[in-house]
Amino acid sequence: MTPNSVSTPSRRSFLASTAVVTAAVAGGMPLLAACGGGQEGRKEGTTSGKDAAKILPAFAAQSVVTPDLPAKNGSTAGFTKAIAPADLKTSVAKKLGSGGRLTVMAPFWGTPPAGSNPYYQAMNKAIGVEVTWQNQDGVTYDQKLGAVLASSDIPDVVVVPAWNLTGRIPSAINAKFADLGPYLSGDKVKDYPNLAAVPTDAWQRAIFGGQLRAIPMPASNVTNIAPFYRKDLFDKKGYSLPKSPDEFLAWAKEATDAKSKVWACDDMKWSAFNFFGALSGGDKALWWNLEDGKLINRIETDQYLEALEWTRKLYAAHVVHPDAISGKAGGDAGNRFTAGQCLVYNQDLSAWYGKTSEQRTQKNDFEMGAFDIFGPDGGDPTLWAVQPASIFTFVSKKASKQQIKDLLAVANFCAAPFGTTERMLTMYGVEGADYDLKKGLPVKSTQGVNEVNGAFDYTGDPAPFTAYTDLPDITRSIVEWQQRMGAFTKKSSFYGLTITEPTRWANLADDFEQLEDDVVRGRKKISDVQQAVSDWKSKGGDELRDWYKKLLDDNGSAAK
Amino acid sequence: MSAVIDQRDSAQESAPAPAPLRWGAPPRPSWEEEPSKPGLAGKGIALVLACLGILFPLWIVVVTSLQSKKTIDAAGGLVVIPKEITFIAYQELLSGGQVQRATLVSLGVTLVGTLFSMSVSVLCAYGLSRSGSLGHRWILMLLLATMFFGAGLIPTYLLVQALGLTDTYLALILPSAVSVFNILVLRSFFMGISPELIDSARIDGAGDWRILFTIVLPLSRAVLAVISLFYAVGYWSAWFNASIYLSDQNMMPLQNVMIQLVQKQERPVGLATQVNTGQISSLALQMAVMVLALLPVAVLSPFVQRHFKKGMLTGAIKG
Amino acid sequence: MAHSTVPRSRAEAATRKATAKGPADRRRAPGRPGKVSLRLRFKRDRTLILMTLPAVLLLLLFNYIPILGNVVAFQDYDPYLSDNGFIAMLQSPWVGFEQFQRIFADSAFWHAVQNTFVLFFLQLVLFFPIPILLALLINSLIRPRVRAVAQAIMYLPHFFSWVLVVTVFQQVFGGAGIIAQTLAQHGHGGFDVMTDPEIFKYLVTLQSVWKDAGWGIIVFLAALSSVPNDLYEAAAMDGANRWRRIWHITLPALRPVIALLLVLRVGDALTVGFEQLLLQRQAVGPDASEVLDTYVWWNGIRNQDFSYAAAAGLVKGVVGLSLVLVANKVAHLMGEQGVYKK
Repeated sequence: MTPNSVSTPSRRSFLASTAVVTAAVAGGMPLLAACGGGQEGRKEGTTSGKDAAKILPAFAAQSVVTPDLPAKNGSTAGFTKAIAPADLKTSVAKKLGSGGRLTVMAPFWGTPPAGSNPYYQAMNKAIGVEVTWQNQDGVTYDQKLGAVLASSDIPDVVVVPAWNLTGRIPSAINAKFADLGPYLSGDKVKDYPNLAAVPTDAWQRAIFGGQLRAIPMPASNVTNIAPFYRKDLFDKKGYSLPKSPDEFLAWAKEATDAKSKVWACDDMKWSAFNFFGALSGGDKALWWNLEDGKLINRIETDQYLEALEWTRKLYAAHVVHPDAISGKAGGDAGNRFTAGQCLVYNQDLSAWYGKTSEQRTQKNDFEMGAFDIFGPDGGDPTLWAVQPASIFTFVSKKASKQQIKDLLAVANFCAAPFGTTERMLTMYGVEGADYDLKKGLPVKSTQGVNEVNGAFDYTGDPAPFTAYTDLPDITRSIVEWQQRMGAFTKKSSFYGLTITEPTRWANLADDFEQLEDDVVRGRKKISDVQQAVSDWKSKGGDELRDWYKKLLDDNGSAAK
Repeated sequence: MSAVIDQRDSAQESAPAPAPLRWGAPPRPSWEEEPSKPGLAGKGIALVLACLGILFPLWIVVVTSLQSKKTIDAAGGLVVIPKEITFIAYQELLSGGQVQRATLVSLGVTLVGTLFSMSVSVLCAYGLSRSGSLGHRWILMLLLATMFFGAGLIPTYLLVQALGLTDTYLALILPSAVSVFNILVLRSFFMGISPELIDSARIDGAGDWRILFTIVLPLSRAVLAVISLFYAVGYWSAWFNASIYLSDQNMMPLQNVMIQLVQKQERPVGLATQVNTGQISSLALQMAVMVLALLPVAVLSPFVQRHFKKGMLTGAIKG
Repeated sequence: MAHSTVPRSRAEAATRKATAKGPADRRRAPGRPGKVSLRLRFKRDRTLILMTLPAVLLLLLFNYIPILGNVVAFQDYDPYLSDNGFIAMLQSPWVGFEQFQRIFADSAFWHAVQNTFVLFFLQLVLFFPIPILLALLINSLIRPRVRAVAQAIMYLPHFFSWVLVVTVFQQVFGGAGIIAQTLAQHGHGGFDVMTDPEIFKYLVTLQSVWKDAGWGIIVFLAALSSVPNDLYEAAAMDGANRWRRIWHITLPALRPVIALLLVLRVGDALTVGFEQLLLQRQAVGPDASEVLDTYVWWNGIRNQDFSYAAAAGLVKGVVGLSLVLVANKVAHLMGEQGVYKK
């Protein structure tokens, strides 16, 4: 009996729980897996091979700054030292904006600052474009996006994360957003040197419906989910790092003490996929790989089942924290980790910095590290690359040519590499107002924390980099972990492509994630998964395979 | 009637004045028996259990909102036994112009919205409360059907946009102004008002407007208070409409700002360029938001309860 | 204005009710049997119809026009076919009942329906009476401070978000929660109520009771406070003790409200929870937690499959409306008005 007068469809039709969505976003993997394969767009399929080469921008690595840890094996570039203001370089020689106006709609997690704050004003002045932000609540962004795109009045610039590319959105993209090819293809990108430095892999992802339509947000293609462990507690108890799944299980049984509220680990499903070399579970296109001339899907592989079986063993041995069994209802795994209630958990790599920096202020002994991912028998692992870009910024077809150029000016500015004045302004704001230099390190003031909130992350980014200069040891650890894991990373057949699956098969594999959760918790059996796979095959999985094979034959793989 | 009054008066005069009870209670009416000991005990136990069941989690919520990050981290979640009292979570929520503004917005929308909704609903409920009136069945069916069939987001959004209501405060009021449930409850109470009263007024020549304002409304204080409360709570806690129809941060109501503030702490660090100060636990923030959300209830409760006095004299006697 | 009288006894009240002439009767000029002409009725009821206009207009505008959008249930709707979503409605291909077939052919749908009805009946039996009992309890308290405090406390959980409610339950009943820890200390490990698919339905009902029962008492308190004291007094004079007074006066006073809310609740049977169940989906698995609303969200709305979601919505609406009509008929048979009279 809830007789409140809120409109009915809204109350029913979405998730108000921030815990669910933020866990999804922070966790990366789970949410990306949950996005259904795109529905049929105006042009289903993809564009790669020779066709792509015609429209991709020419790559020209930036030579303005040299990172302390150059990118290797697909890792991010690392910057461990803060750069003094006097040493900052300039990557945007001439202001490219025309002084025109742009409205930008982007998701936002947190409190957007009031419209005309000093940071936004400074950015607008530096770029030469008047940007009006429409920061939409990240929780309801997918619904707002769906509704706004259906109207005839859309903002000039719209940001669409890959996990929102479900349903009919891909057809909206092709119908409503402009082709950036005339401004960026081939050598035209040289007008925007910072954009030329964005890796070609990322640009490939921005091809929609046969045209280059978006500015991508590049990311490292090394798996972003790392198994973290409490280094301080490991040292204290004298545990050594397990080197194989069996060793892990044995260690976990030894380390769990339910009475003292300590469990060995949290849900390890995503790490399990990495340990056993299952194909990447993120983007749908990454589920396929060509082996012995035949395309197989992730769910058909033995590695997939082995990973589930091992995770199931963990749960059955009661070494997994009980709140993890409850999943989202159990709360934040990160809290359990910092409390020491679980000694190992998996999370996006950025948590290495996030958790460490927040715990350092608490002045306790907290130390965390990340396992090197091991193979199924303790040897080298087989890892699969994740997509090199997953957030895209589009321009409306109704925008004028000048407005498109203005957006590119913004993107070029925001894609400045670390170590430039432009990057400094974008990341930290105005010196004195938003941040101060303490011992050479920029520290944000309260005003800075409120204003400089990451809005401009969505309009252009440089090649992936890690630059937590306040914690150089963590920066180094992250980059080196990526480099080591990158050495074992292979690219599956459709790596780097943005593929729009036909409508009729869009929801075929939707139930597998639930099934995985049920199996590892013992509610269902591995045989149920096998049954589901054969159902999948007969209901369209085999036809989908043929469709993908044709795609591969026609276009060739982008994976080199 | 008069006979009954006389009897009561005489009863009061002849019986000894009952001793005043504790807690400022009015003297028990003479016709009520003394409660039995087991009955009293039973009631007491049930009440205490019900309240404890609610107070315990409330305690946890309040306590957690007052803990430092260190304590919450150590507990790995909600805290039962407090180790300190610190107000940083509340400071974080209440400082900064956003919250002040948002509160004003919410207050405005709630007040205007409740008044508007109540006017529309009361009129409609009264208009439907005389069974047999023309079109009464059809209109009722019309209302009822909307309770079962909802509209998708896209058609509603397109409509609101076509009406030019996006980015206006009206978008927070008009689309959800009418709650058929509330109208039905009002109608049910209106229909329960003794028909003789209304008929005699009609014979005296009063029109429907007069009857509504001079008879029906004064006798319906309880249900009016209740439905106003329902509407007010609805407007105050609504946030989805603002999320979809507004894009200017300055216009955001309080609930949205609160949710944003909680998300800020939980923000995926990978996407953030801010330095995470790490002083405030996001859990403490969430709990503080909860506590602040309960304050309006604590404030409104006395107002509403004034109308729920036991055995309020409604019905026939008017001075 | 003096003429009304208060019935002295239940018998009198019953007779009065049976023979009462409703306002419609009174309006007929005495001695003129048969239907009153339409024009006359319009003249008489003009004001009443006028009064319903604002609400009707608002509903027509903000509810009915968008509801027309449900026509996409018979299409393969692509809102982006043309510049405007409305025009796209006209341009999208028609597929007849295909979406409905998709729904009805899915065994997960029927499972969700089953779960929905099970939860509904459970809540009807275990949840619905509680606010009534609590309202009676509160109403019997004389001391105003106790009443005020008790009421205020009971309203509070309604304002907790489901996230909070589930979190609190997790902390108490979960595998690492207070009860589990206490039991573990004494050697009984493995207590975890939150992840047991078998008892999940009872857990859900308990959560609903905890969160919303207190709020539900409000309407009943309003009904109880409308009962004039004189009735109780008169009955007491007639020799009725406390229990008989409750049976003959209090409960009958509540009957119309209970009937109304019961009929509406039945009409709402297909909506047994959403956020609460979605939050705990991982904990107990979709077999135990999938209901119609989560099913539609998971398969339709999440994938922006508007046609599918619209079709499911229509099915729900038709069933819900039918249920209300049936329930209302039952209410009539029991002598109550329900939502609308015959």
